Amino acid sequence: MGVNLWDGDQVSVVLKKGLDTAVLRQEVIANNLANANTPLFKRSTVMFEDHLRQALGKETGRRTVREGVTMEELAPRVVRDHRNSMRMDLNNVDVDQEMVFLSGNQIKYNALTQFISDRYSNLRYVINEGRR
Amino acid sequence: MKVFKTLATSGSALTAEKLRLDTIANNLANMNTTRTAEGGPYRRQVPIFIERLQRVGVQPGERPPVEIRSRARHNWESTGVRVLAIPQDPNPPRIVYDPEHPDADEEGYVEYPNVDMVREMVDMITATRSYEANVTVLNATKNMLLKSLEIGRG
Repeated sequence: MGVNLWDGDQVSVVLKKGLDTAVLRQEVIANNLANANTPLFKRSTVMFEDHLRQALGKETGRRTVREGVTMEELAPRVVRDHRNSMRMDLNNVDVDQEMVFLSGNQIKYNALTQFISDRYSNLRYVINEGRR
Repeated sequence: MKVFKTLATSGSALTAEKLRLDTIANNLANMNTTRTAEGGPYRRQVPIFIERLQRVGVQPGERPPVEIRSRARHNWESTGVRVLAIPQDPNPPRIVYDPEHPDADEEGYVEYPNVDMVREMVDMITATRSYEANVTVLNATKNMLLKSLEIGRG
């Protein structure tokens, strides 16, 4: 079985979804922080990793897609957080918390781009018959 | 393109926070203005921020297709913040006894603007910090964009 590095194989799909999620999460964090002083605003979060873990059906030992959710169907979802805060304007954005999520998201995005780059670099190595 | 939209989201917040700073500067500048065009003392102005909502999948100014013209919540996505209006603070003016003042009434009281310097200072700090937070997000997004250009290089 050959490894299809271009597209279609499981790893590429997961990496692509991971990047999409990081970009979406960046958008959501930017929006939360943009509305940090908007009265009545409620923050949003992106749900993805839990669904991914489910889709990757760990119990078989083989990392295959579990019945029900296919990898292609899997998409990050934006969810409103309706919890209340102690603030007088009923806004529940915590700037410090959002900043933590922001830096975490940055690192995740950089890790993913690095991983994808390495995959292509491996492919290039093979195409060049082992010469760099 | 999602990433450029993220930049626009942060940009809207920068505009809004800067406008708030402008308003605070104007309030402080007019702290002792007892005469205005509409009569009476200057009144403190407060910008009202509101979430900027946009129909999913529709560009600004474009007419949305029939199927997503309803106002259902899931058809709208949040794309930053906008200033709804800059209304005047309805609180009563500050009354100071100063019979020498040209704007004093028969009993010698002058109506001064309802601007509280301490409050304006606190608002100013909030606006500045919010501005900085949004600049941080803007830079982070920019770095992300540049990082994705490096995919497949080297």
